[in-house]
Amino acid sequence: MHPATATEKGTFMNELDHFQEAAKNPEGYGKNLKASGRPVIGCLCSYAPEELIHAAGAHPMRLFGTKEAIVNADGHLQTYCCSLAKGVLENTLTGRLSFLDGAVFPHTCDTIQRLSDIWRLNTDYDFFADVVYPVKLNTQSALDYTVDIFERFKKNLESWSGQSLSEADLTRSIEIFNSIRDQLAEIYRMRSKDPACLSGSLLSSVVKGSMILDRDELPERLFRLRKEIEEGRYAVPGNERKKRLIVAGSLCDHPDFFSILEESDGVVVWDDLCTGSRYFDETVDIGVPPLEAIARRYVERRRPCPAKHLSNTARGEALAAMAEEHKASGVIFFLLKFCDPHAFDYPYLKEYLETRNVSVTLVEVENQLPPEGQLKTRLETFIHML
Amino acid sequence: MYAVGIDIGSITTKAAVIDDNGILGTRIISTGYNASEAGQRVFDELLRECSLKPSDIGAIISTGYGRNSVTFADKSLTEIICHGAGAHYLNPSVRAVVDVGGQDSKALLIDDKGKTKDFAMNDKCAAGTGRFLEVMARALEVDLDAFGALSLQSDTPCRISSICTVFAESEVISLISRGERREDIIAGIHESVAARVAALAHRVGVHPPLMMTGGVARNIGVVTALEKKLGMPVEVSSYAQVNGAIGAAVLALKN
Repeated sequence: MHPATATEKGTFMNELDHFQEAAKNPEGYGKNLKASGRPVIGCLCSYAPEELIHAAGAHPMRLFGTKEAIVNADGHLQTYCCSLAKGVLENTLTGRLSFLDGAVFPHTCDTIQRLSDIWRLNTDYDFFADVVYPVKLNTQSALDYTVDIFERFKKNLESWSGQSLSEADLTRSIEIFNSIRDQLAEIYRMRSKDPACLSGSLLSSVVKGSMILDRDELPERLFRLRKEIEEGRYAVPGNERKKRLIVAGSLCDHPDFFSILEESDGVVVWDDLCTGSRYFDETVDIGVPPLEAIARRYVERRRPCPAKHLSNTARGEALAAMAEEHKASGVIFFLLKFCDPHAFDYPYLKEYLETRNVSVTLVEVENQLPPEGQLKTRLETFIHML
Repeated sequence: MYAVGIDIGSITTKAAVIDDNGILGTRIISTGYNASEAGQRVFDELLRECSLKPSDIGAIISTGYGRNSVTFADKSLTEIICHGAGAHYLNPSVRAVVDVGGQDSKALLIDDKGKTKDFAMNDKCAAGTGRFLEVMARALEVDLDAFGALSLQSDTPCRISSICTVFAESEVISLISRGERREDIIAGIHESVAARVAALAHRVGVHPPLMMTGGVARNIGVVTALEKKLGMPVEVSSYAQVNGAIGAAVLALKN
């Protein structure tokens, strides 16, 4: 174990333990927060405008699906739906999310959009909202439209909470989320510079924890965590010599995946995951009307999710640039089975990256990782090829 | 210098010893319950057969799913890398390899040095592997070694539509009770295996010269069906089953 330090509560804990605990048991954390009087709103993807939820006095909490067997959700969803959609529905139908006050469904992929209807018809939370984004991002009308849907989402929140949401509230929230994003990006940069400062599995719990922990406390926590990392408290000597890799995909809720990679002589130095850099990439401008500023972050981001369209080559260019910037020689696409936006992009991205001398491999998973032996064989071979 | 490769697979454990002049000997045993013990035993038996002492061996590389249980190996490498190296050693012109073993099947592309360039591996289930054929042989009460020759006598293969091994087994039992000829059922089974393997091979874009390795390559029925499905000749060496161990030995010798 890591050496312990005193915390504000007088117990002995590393800052990282808070992140790990929340990542291991998000429902437990949500329940406690709710018991303390804070409403909790579940968020389905990184396109949920968390600043608005926070400004309305509620706690935005990312939903991750389940590692438990799918028993109830299969009766509502087709077999071709991804394990995230099934897992989230399973969790709500079995009551594991009963602490929620509601949820917001951003329309990124069609499965989440349809899940929103099934959720609405089969649950009775107080709050429910769809945020139906445009598919094509790079037009003025996409920006105008996104501002409009945020206006509507703001009204949804206001009528639910009974309080109006002021520009000052929004700006304060934007500042908190900007600090969180900046600091997560800084931790990623520290790790890209020195992959031995923190293991990949611990880094994944930092990002996941950041989607769960109280955002009012989070900037301070991340600040202390950065200090601890700088002190070398979590150092994993040897990681600096491993082959540098990038992981791309949607959700990766498998810390073991990063451990298996590190055992196989590879180390992830950056990612393009919605439970990774797509959560904190780019901040919201201050000095612009808040809703427009938040909208701009989504429509102008250089690395969109594959469910959104920026240009035919935007994702390829972004991944190639990421590999170059972080000196990575390979990209592992870590995709959820049946995730069609990601699967559809894969053949083109593989070709695009390989012609630029970046090797590519694909790992498809459901709510559990494939058997370790087979996964290790694939990852070791890929890393050996680099 | 002598170099040894040990390939611990899910069903069999293979070993090969080579030197600069070629292959000196190979050995195949059942893996059984204890992979580590199988690794030691195959090594001891191989050396005895070739009249060599452990001190004669300069380098050992282990491979296969049990590669990490060979504690006396200098290094372990995945079977994908080793099959590429082995196929290149047996025929340097080969550029694509299809390896079908007990529970895994892999397709890989190799360069002119035998180095793996790209690969695909079965990740959903073990249909289209050696274990699938074993289950079918049991249902048909035919020795698996006779499968290849029997299937070549068929001109109207039955259709096996299930991918799941258990469902396919019950399909085979239905075909038996319907009175279908055993040869036609076996030919149908081979076509089903070939279809799975060909789908995997297409994922990496295999091209001739193509070599098939692994225990299933001993089955002429599967090889013939695969040639038909891929529309290209499939080369099989007499060392197909020990190809992974040979590749490991080649890489050990290079090291």
